[in-house]
Amino acid sequence: MGLPLPLQRCFAAICMAALSAAASAQLSHAPDPLFHDGMEGIAAGPFTDSDAARFLAQATFGPTDTDIAHLRSLGYQAWLTEQFGAAKTLQMDYLDWISSAPRNEQIGQNNRQEAWFLGALGGPDPQTNSLIHNDQLRQRVAFALSEILVISDQNTELGLNGAAGMAYYYDLLIKGAFGNYRQLLEQVTLSPAMGMYLNMLGNRRADLASNVHPDENYGREINQLFSVGLVMLNMDGTPKMSGGQPIPTYTQSTITAFAHVLTGWNWASCDVSGYDEFIGCYTPYSTPADYLTPMVAYETKPANETGTDAEYNYHDNGAHADDLTGKQLLLYPGVAGGGVVPDGASRTAYADLTFALDNIYGHPNVAPFISKQLIQRLVTSNPSPAYVQRVATVFYNNRASATQLQSVVQAILLDPEARYGQWTNPDTYGKLREPLLALTHLWRAMNARHWCGKDIAFVKNVSAAAYYANPYRYAGYTTAWSTGGTQYQGIAQAPQDAFTVFNFFKPSFKPPGEMSTRGLLGPEFQLQTDSVIALSANTFRDFFIDPDLSDFCNPDNDPLGDVKIDHAADGALAPAALVDKYNRVFMSGQMSPFMRQTLIDYLSNIDSGWGSDWQMQRVSRALYLILTSPEYMIQK
Amino acid sequence: MRPDRRKFIQQTICAALGGASVYSALGQLQLLQAATRANYTFPPGDYKALVCVFLYGGNDSFNTVVPYTLSAYNAYYGGTGVRPKLAIPRANLLPLTDAANTSADGIQYALHPSLTGLQTLFNSGQAAIVANVGTLVQKTTQQNAWDAMNNNSGFALPPELFSHADQAAYWQSSPPTNQPLTGWGGRIADLIASANTGGAPIMTGLNGQDAFMRGLNVNGYTMNTVPYGAIELDFPYDASGPGLQTPFDALHLDGAQTNALERAYARTMNHSTGTASIMNAAMGLKDFSSSFPNSVGDLDAQLQTVAQLIYAANHPGSSGYSGLQRQVFFVSTGGFDTHSDELAAHGDPTTPGVLDLVSRSLKGFYDALASVGLQNVATAFTASDFGRTLTNNDNGTDHGWGGHHFVVGGAVQGGKFYGNGAGFSPQANFGTVMPSLVNPNTYDAITGMSLNLNDPGDGYGRLIPTTSVDQYAATLAKWFGLSDPDIGLIFPNLGNFDTKNLGFV
Repeated sequence: MGLPLPLQRCFAAICMAALSAAASAQLSHAPDPLFHDGMEGIAAGPFTDSDAARFLAQATFGPTDTDIAHLRSLGYQAWLTEQFGAAKTLQMDYLDWISSAPRNEQIGQNNRQEAWFLGALGGPDPQTNSLIHNDQLRQRVAFALSEILVISDQNTELGLNGAAGMAYYYDLLIKGAFGNYRQLLEQVTLSPAMGMYLNMLGNRRADLASNVHPDENYGREINQLFSVGLVMLNMDGTPKMSGGQPIPTYTQSTITAFAHVLTGWNWASCDVSGYDEFIGCYTPYSTPADYLTPMVAYETKPANETGTDAEYNYHDNGAHADDLTGKQLLLYPGVAGGGVVPDGASRTAYADLTFALDNIYGHPNVAPFISKQLIQRLVTSNPSPAYVQRVATVFYNNRASATQLQSVVQAILLDPEARYGQWTNPDTYGKLREPLLALTHLWRAMNARHWCGKDIAFVKNVSAAAYYANPYRYAGYTTAWSTGGTQYQGIAQAPQDAFTVFNFFKPSFKPPGEMSTRGLLGPEFQLQTDSVIALSANTFRDFFIDPDLSDFCNPDNDPLGDVKIDHAADGALAPAALVDKYNRVFMSGQMSPFMRQTLIDYLSNIDSGWGSDWQMQRVSRALYLILTSPEYMIQK
Repeated sequence: MRPDRRKFIQQTICAALGGASVYSALGQLQLLQAATRANYTFPPGDYKALVCVFLYGGNDSFNTVVPYTLSAYNAYYGGTGVRPKLAIPRANLLPLTDAANTSADGIQYALHPSLTGLQTLFNSGQAAIVANVGTLVQKTTQQNAWDAMNNNSGFALPPELFSHADQAAYWQSSPPTNQPLTGWGGRIADLIASANTGGAPIMTGLNGQDAFMRGLNVNGYTMNTVPYGAIELDFPYDASGPGLQTPFDALHLDGAQTNALERAYARTMNHSTGTASIMNAAMGLKDFSSSFPNSVGDLDAQLQTVAQLIYAANHPGSSGYSGLQRQVFFVSTGGFDTHSDELAAHGDPTTPGVLDLVSRSLKGFYDALASVGLQNVATAFTASDFGRTLTNNDNGTDHGWGGHHFVVGGAVQGGKFYGNGAGFSPQANFGTVMPSLVNPNTYDAITGMSLNLNDPGDGYGRLIPTTSVDQYAATLAKWFGLSDPDIGLIFPNLGNFDTKNLGFV
């Protein structure tokens, strides 16, 4: 549904205002159309705080007034350029700092999540406060990639021993967020965390006498989830049809072929002793550093062994009697070598891996499959096919470029549908905010800090605990227990904590009811079950209804401490001013007149009769109503 | 094609489903399609509830169900016996009446002294014991297991045996992968959801959720026990003036939003609130407290809540908790990982422990339903990460594999042992009935390998299951009303075993 033709050519505020002059006496539940861009063209904006906030909602972990002002001073393009060049916040830097002297903390999943929050929230570095973390766009894109290229601490081994390895993996996404997707795919494939998660680590060529067959897990998921998907796609993301049915991208035998070619890789450290330890190469519980080194191929005779190289080659190159010859990988027009992996005793594991990754990456599905999901993670759940096509074309045209994803992200954010789409399709535009994104948004907008308590450090080999209070460590009881755990605790989401490789929700999910009937996608709705939505709302409430930065601190009673927001900054604002401020930083100026008046009417009842903390109560309740409201929860 | 030894075994499933693993997208599609075309209808009044009672930690069922016949008792607990340090005085044991002599070794068994409720239920035919059940990919002999674990034979075993999280996940989902997408409770619910009308949840967990309740289509509903009930939005306490409810409701008014996603979100929130109200009203229709005296708010409160919900499902009146003909419940408790102080943890009649909790909770559950004539509609079954080692360490046991489990309900063909039997007595010819992994009693000093694979000795004594979780679950699913093809679809390894219906219910 679009605007009438004359209005499509007229984006000036004056045209829209004239149209809405005939509005009914009742307050509208729709955002006020006065607040949107002028006619100068997309990249020249933003021209209002609201448009700046809207952009930042898509490109960061939540707008702040400082960021809005900064974006307005630079304009979209210069802001993007600045972000492309901003210093990277890497998780391993943080983990290295806390695990070294004098802190000597034992790295676990909680620390990994602390590192994630540092990147997501930005701000002063806990070690060097003068260093300000501000690579928001890169971090936001990395988070989106982490929901496509999924690993999770729900895997027992990764959960117990792989925290650093998962951080190392996430750093690949951070470093690669503006890079080349083919290169990222290779780095992900060779990372031990992914190798552990989807079983490519230790996968070996068939040995029929021992009933050993290569594992298919990674071969399946790299195709289904990380690159091409299940059905053939047009460049606009719509499925190609044949006789009314979608066309599968691959068959089971394709997966078997991939399983065979993705063999021979294992921990880097396993053969350092000079003996063949591929089969006995168990998870090195005592050397988490092994997670920080890419997997290596085992295809030659180790130094201290006797025999030939072929006897110690665990990679299926088609030359061994039990190998699969003529492995047929993905088939599509123009595929190199017909998609058939060459056989031969001289074929190395890396050469075959390269062939396989090139085979995948060359598939025409990759551009629309990945582009559409990136759009869904940043901008809107139901992009128009034309929007997908525009972005996929940039993805495809830049497929060999080292800055491919930089161009893709720019194309996503500066597309007219990202900047104006909510006006052309107000009924179907937008995406449900994920719990983690809502939380980071709250914490950024409200200047949250780790408050009180100590970061208890269990010093290795020393019984006494050392205490480090640090406002820029987003650690503490609240974070660890309420954003971690499983989907059935707390806010129901934590970084790299999905139950399965299918992420917290599937890109194709349609919530039952109107959206399903109309064929509208709402992936994030899959997380919001009857009980989770209430449980997570209650957890959210606990973050800010009572806790405040001004709370009395007794570190001995609250050793881990919480992350708390600052109510005082807004406490003095009268209801209308308070609502307008939150409209700006939380809702990008799109709060409907109805919602605005509803909030003002309610908040006006809160006065000093409530007690000495009445102003904080007013802020808390404003936040509660906004953060649970449909108008806020749908990012438009 | 023989299955692969690799951790994440796909081959068997591929063979079973003609090329599409149930854990692949195509396989999920098959499940979804089956769920969509499923059209289970049951006659009015035909209501059934499956209740999974999960004991986290791995219960030592070998001190729960123990030999009672004197010679067997002595061989078990005697000074040179299997587990002398865990001996329970014979006079305190609760003998079981196994009239049909189903224990497979001809001796009498008894229950731990705390299990008075379960003794009553078993002896009156309302409870059965499924012996030596555990996770298996396929029938597994001692040689199979030894070769797989020690010689990399490639024989398929469940991944990560003896690991709590992996085995608990495997028990609850029974796939050949330790990253289950769905649990078998969820898969059952997916397929049978068509039997229910109305919006009340088909799957409810009373102590959080776990893999068991994960379906492809159906979402599990989590709630707290009596007296707390369903999770409702916890509005901040408003000291004075109008509450938050008014503006909150105004912002969530159904259909008032101008964006489809906003409308969906408002409806999701309202549906949650509505469901919570329905659940709490249902929970409050009947009070079974008298069947659960001395409730400690643990498994007892969970099963009391389940009983009250089952009552409500069968007496909905005008409440919204109607249209329910099939329901799946998940309750759980922990504390079973008894590496030390096992006797204290299990408790005794003077100082009750975890076994007392299990017994009186299940007995209270049965009695509550029986008091309103509903004892036949619900079948409760225990499950756990694994059994434990037959032999003891200083005063506890280590992670094992196979173990015994209880099935309780009016529909149960009780008073019997099922599976291959519970025998690990000398009369049972150790290892034939319940084969152990290792016989450290007699072993070759050089290879370390047992010379007599049938004698569990006094080493670890981990018993290889002789009944699989698949068979256990498939039997329950059959009672629950699923068709054989659907049962085969959700338990892809079932075809690896001879008996698909153990017949205990």
